[in-house]
Amino acid sequence: MRDVAIIFKREFQAYFYSPIAYVFSVIFILLNTGLYMFHFFFFGNADMRAFFSSLPLVLGLIFIPAISMRLWSEENKLGTVELLLTLPMKSEHIVLGKYLASLAFYLIALAGTLTIPIILLILGRPDFGPIIGGYFGAVLLGAFFLAVGIFISAFFSDQIVSLIITSMACGFLALIGWQYVPMVIDGWIPGLGSFLHRYIGVTRHFNDIERGVIDIKSIIYFLSMTALFLYLNAKSLERRKY
Amino acid sequence: MIELRNVSKRYGDTTALDGISFSIKKGEIVGFVGPNGAGKSTAMKIITTYTAPTSGTVTVGGFDGLENPIEVRRLIGYLPETVPLYSDMLVSEYLEFIGTARHLNGNLKKRTDWVVEACGLGNVLKRKVGVLSKGYKQRTCLAQALIHDPEVLILDEPTSGLDPLQIIGIRNLIKNLSHSKTIVLSTHILPEAAIVSDRILMINHGRLVADGTFDDLVAQVSDRRSMYLSVKAPKKDLEAALKGIKGVDEIRFDENAARGSSAAHIFSAPKTDLLEAVNEVMKKQKWTVLEFQQEKLSLEDTFIRLTQGSDAAEKEEKA
Repeated sequence: MRDVAIIFKREFQAYFYSPIAYVFSVIFILLNTGLYMFHFFFFGNADMRAFFSSLPLVLGLIFIPAISMRLWSEENKLGTVELLLTLPMKSEHIVLGKYLASLAFYLIALAGTLTIPIILLILGRPDFGPIIGGYFGAVLLGAFFLAVGIFISAFFSDQIVSLIITSMACGFLALIGWQYVPMVIDGWIPGLGSFLHRYIGVTRHFNDIERGVIDIKSIIYFLSMTALFLYLNAKSLERRKY
Repeated sequence: MIELRNVSKRYGDTTALDGISFSIKKGEIVGFVGPNGAGKSTAMKIITTYTAPTSGTVTVGGFDGLENPIEVRRLIGYLPETVPLYSDMLVSEYLEFIGTARHLNGNLKKRTDWVVEACGLGNVLKRKVGVLSKGYKQRTCLAQALIHDPEVLILDEPTSGLDPLQIIGIRNLIKNLSHSKTIVLSTHILPEAAIVSDRILMINHGRLVADGTFDDLVAQVSDRRSMYLSVKAPKKDLEAALKGIKGVDEIRFDENAARGSSAAHIFSAPKTDLLEAVNEVMKKQKWTVLEFQQEKLSLEDTFIRLTQGSDAAEKEEKA
């Protein structure tokens, strides 16, 4: 656990060395609140439906890849991966330290959007069930996408390549969970779209939680997928040896 | 302390190490020498457990690199060839990170002060690693390898990119450390290995070509002698005259000879002395001799002979 903390500390600090993270956090907060406010003033509902429904795509396509891209790609580029993997630490601990640092950074950015429920509280009487559920889902969803991102970043030494591949992977996971994308795929290969939608699509699980239906199956889905990708990441670091 | 048994490493189709075996005793300073791409770095990566061998076993301090990598890593301080540094960190932050990651705890301050002093980093502690000069980067990275006072030091080209004064500094540092530590360093500069190390392992094409003290290596190739001759005569005349001498193995003309004269390095066949014969020819031709001296086989020559020798042997093997 001490090793995880040591790696976490350095990784977390590293986010604040470069301006990229700040820029993306600001964009994230502005984009999300901006998109939401339009909807809010148009319909005048004191809920956060619009905010959470666009969240999987915003997270998957831009924000999460931007946080996760540097985790291993930067180490690969600088050669520090050689330093890190010859420290007397288990690769699982290094992966976990890095992952938790990125998760912490994400949670800070997500906390930046808490201004919305505060505004709602001042202006009306929102139903807090779906809002709390939504944030809970956003944490789980982000945690999962970050695990995908850290796994992908280990294979590249160029951060931009990591960003694009992660964006494609997470974007796919998000889109496949929507209703009409699987329907299109079903049109090409019958059954495949529904299969992907049912078992891989992330949005469906997110929507359940976001509606306030906290289904244990969805929670297990997110947690197990997160654990799977972290495990694969640690294994891929050992694999590079053979 | 370090033992490699029949270690091979293949990356796809290319063979980086081809069944290499050697053992290094505690307290020895060993220089890995060989041309670029010979497999020196691969051998080091395998010893440090960064890479696993395709076949064969490696033990460091009695611990197997594959079964007990953590224990092996604890023993080793490693300076990779790529000089891995986090460019956004301050030098002091970088050393602190490595120190804590190496579990120094209470000793951290004492050890940091020591490496800063030993590597001459006092002036740059509060600078960002990314803006340091090549020499300081190299030394920061060396400090990283020394911070936990490791029993085994693996230094991949520790002096590359340094100026002559810094090279001497690093060499002295290595010599001072050598009382207590097992040190493996790699270089493609043979003189450097000769100065610093007790023993030289010459590697070429992933195989061990030679193993011994520097004098042993020289003895292996020095049955060939060479002379340098410079005369006032056209090149083709000199060539014709020299070719007539029995026992001349190879003539290498010096293209920088002064105008109107010609000069050549003359290599004798093994165990023959050409001194008399060349003298005879000079007398007969009545040339003015500008320079005539016997040459000691230089370090670089030794290096070239040994690596070329192994290249030739390999070709024969294939044929």
